[in-house]
Amino acid sequence: MIPEQFFIVATLLFSIGLVGVVSRRNIFVVYLSIELMLSSVNLLLVTFSRIDQSMNGSVMALLLIAVIAAEASLFLAMIIQLYRSKRSLDSDHFNLLNQNKGDL
Amino acid sequence: MLENSIFAILTLFLVIGSLGMISFKHTIFSAFSFLIAMLALAGLFALLENSFLFLAQIMVSVGAVVVLGLMVIISLGSIEKNIPDEPYKFYWIALSTLLVTPLALLIYKGLLTLHAHFNETKEGYGELKSMGEQLFSEWVLPFEAVSVLLLTAMVGAIVIARKEKYFKKKNYFDEHKHQEDTK
Repeated sequence: MIPEQFFIVATLLFSIGLVGVVSRRNIFVVYLSIELMLSSVNLLLVTFSRIDQSMNGSVMALLLIAVIAAEASLFLAMIIQLYRSKRSLDSDHFNLLNQNKGDL
Repeated sequence: MLENSIFAILTLFLVIGSLGMISFKHTIFSAFSFLIAMLALAGLFALLENSFLFLAQIMVSVGAVVVLGLMVIISLGSIEKNIPDEPYKFYWIALSTLLVTPLALLIYKGLLTLHAHFNETKEGYGELKSMGEQLFSEWVLPFEAVSVLLLTAMVGAIVIARKEKYFKKKNYFDEHKHQEDTK
């Protein structure tokens, strides 16, 4: 077991999350992709904590898990609110703050 | 050897789960794929000899976040006409993969310069006791900040997701006005 394997996995996860955010229009998939990117950073923190033999990285990862939970609650509330106003899960329909609404 | 094969299996599940998440059309299948990926990630934490984070990942990311997401999907009713129609989805995925690949290589190169290797684990590494000692000695302030953040997120979620009566009244008023104009 070498750390490079974990680096590869974390990089792969981050890239897949980024691809999901960029290429999908379903707002739920965008949300799950953001979660995936956060989780990849979490994996990296734990790997470094294991390399360094100190619990500092693990504590940081624990706090990051709490931040992920907070982000999830806010994002899901936002999805519910947007769905209630537009009846759609398409992220292109959510242009409430856009001045030129005819462009999309 | 055993560690390597476990690592390979977990990575396989992780990659299949996350690829399925970004490629399924139906939202609920995406959420289930994400569930598989998060479980495999918890397995990787266990492989890094961090038993407490393994439990925390299963409890929070799988037990709370994904289940909450599934509840939202079910309550929204992911019927066919609500899901956005994405005919060029795989072209977009291929294009963005091309664009993201250099970035991924850059991140990996950056991580490789660290030249680190796993040492033998010290006594007590990854256990709940050493975690708690760290958390309540050096990390007290961030811990308290996270508790405030969670409270704020809870209040924010309630405020965002609640029904807005004010706007309802306003719409009602506008409709009445419109009716009077047509009279």
